[in-house]
Amino acid sequence: MAIQVDPENNETRALFDMANFSGQHVLEIGCGDGRLTWRYADKAARVTAIDPSARQIALAREHLPDQLQERIEFHSIAFEDFAAASAPSAFDIVILSWSLC
Amino acid sequence: MVHALEEIRRLLKPAGALIDIHPVAESSPIEIHQGGKIDVAGDLSVHQWCVDFQQADIALTEIAQRGLFAVERDAVFDSLTHYGSAAEMRTSLKESIDKFARDAQSARESVPHAEALAARAEELMQAAVSGAELIVREPTHISRLRPT
Repeated sequence: MAIQVDPENNETRALFDMANFSGQHVLEIGCGDGRLTWRYADKAARVTAIDPSARQIALAREHLPDQLQERIEFHSIAFEDFAAASAPSAFDIVILSWSLC
Repeated sequence: MVHALEEIRRLLKPAGALIDIHPVAESSPIEIHQGGKIDVAGDLSVHQWCVDFQQADIALTEIAQRGLFAVERDAVFDSLTHYGSAAEMRTSLKESIDKFARDAQSARESVPHAEALAARAEELMQAAVSGAELIVREPTHISRLRPT
């Protein structure tokens, strides 16, 4: 059996209790291999998902479901560099996924 | 950390929301589930070696005090990771230590702790009935903040 993280969807339920993703432009910081991204991206208008690890982003791109190709952009970049290159007031929702440390 | 939160505030629309998810700074029990009963192999003391998630709580308090964000909602849920075997958990824990240890010394000190937990989990799994599950239960904090 492969490792299964949160097969009970406790995290997904908690996330949906916190925000309505419908039609929103989302920035996910620390997306890793996209494990959490897949769970809400079909509801969002657009997702920009970043992680400093090139290996994790490669995994995320590799497993990106076809139906989400147009909706999600993955970038291997540190948040400070991403923020420096980004315009203000660009996102409706920012998710800090196990990254505030 | 606070500077990163200031940058996030700049990137958010005025009516936007920040969702923060991070582990609660306490131990995570390693559980063997079988036939409706749960045996605990031990507690994974992530805070002993991991980057400090308590700092995350402090940063959130600080930005609220500075008037950058206000906490709208708050909750704690259990994030459960299921492993196929104790060996799989041992490998995963070592990878996590390599990735998240705050420094080389805490990484060195934490490996025996992870090994001992994996060995205890292995004993319990071997004694368990077929179909027993090995689960790490990680209490996790989620909050919704709005820019102020």
